[in-house]
Amino acid sequence: MKFKDNLPIYLQIEDYIYLQIAQGKLQAGEKLPSVRALALELTVNANTVQRALREMTAKGYIFTKRGEGSFVTTDEGLLEEMKSKLLKQELAAFVSRMEKLGVKRESLTGLLASYLDDTREE
Amino acid sequence: MKTLEIKDLSYHKNSKTILERVNLTLEAGKIVALVGANGAGKTSLMRVIAGLAKQYKGSVEVCGEADEDRRKQYIAMTDSLSAFRDSRKIKDVADFYRLVYPDFDDKQFADILEFMNLNEDERLGSLSKGMKEKLIIALVFSRKAKLYLLDEPFSGVDAMSRKKIIKSMLLWKPEEATLVISDHVLDEIAPVIDEVVLIKKHSVLEQRSAEEIRAEQESIEEWYEGFYEGEE
Repeated sequence: MKFKDNLPIYLQIEDYIYLQIAQGKLQAGEKLPSVRALALELTVNANTVQRALREMTAKGYIFTKRGEGSFVTTDEGLLEEMKSKLLKQELAAFVSRMEKLGVKRESLTGLLASYLDDTREE
Repeated sequence: MKTLEIKDLSYHKNSKTILERVNLTLEAGKIVALVGANGAGKTSLMRVIAGLAKQYKGSVEVCGEADEDRRKQYIAMTDSLSAFRDSRKIKDVADFYRLVYPDFDDKQFADILEFMNLNEDERLGSLSKGMKEKLIIALVFSRKAKLYLLDEPFSGVDAMSRKKIIKSMLLWKPEEATLVISDHVLDEIAPVIDEVVLIKKHSVLEQRSAEEIRAEQESIEEWYEGFYEGEE
């Protein structure tokens, strides 16, 4: 995993875990790897992983059991909310890149529709 | 809890100013990059902290201990191994460490050697620059210290070995211990550090949290280079 160097890493770790959950690599109620294991896997500081987990706990997406570690929430509503936030974030990045290329917001849907049409699998 | 507290430190050598009015506090458990141009005083600062350079003014406390000989027990610093001849084997160096440092842990040393793909029967003369640096790191993390000082552990080391060394830091640094890594570039350690301390003009010019710098949409490298703009 390669991190952007001009964005706090704890935010990028949060996104990484959200993505794992959204892709089903981490299931509702499943135990997260330990702080140390995550730090090694991502080659980041354990304090930074801890901060990411703290933020996620505060938002309710994960919860901790004393002495057992962190778990993904089983609250379906929260998981849906998390996923839609993730989608919104991707869309925002896409729109901003298109705008930088000079595409006006109002032409986006038309462009996207014709692209999807052109690349539709028969 | 404070692991290191330096107050008003000045250090001169042969009437040349090496360090001037240095104030620095490092908390327990942090990973800190000590950066600055070559000759800025990074190595001298580490040597003063470690009690190897003694003719300084001001106070240096490690875990509350100011006396040079007594604070040594809390500190593990990298050694260039230049005192060992090329014909020496890795296990000879370990024997020496075991003798000199009561906190040297044999099991841990064997584990780190294995992780680094080093064999204790290899001779120092046959080690590449990267392998030698891996050995130096293995020796330092085999000691149970509160403050680890790594002096330029990446100079002349290839990218793969650098990654291995960084992973070993994450694996073997005790949770409550503080780790200081000096370097003049920051690329690969940037994601693993909590703080960056910049040495310039013989003193600590800046001490910043890495995440704080990134929160301002700036990379640590850009931040660091900003202090040298217009200089050659």
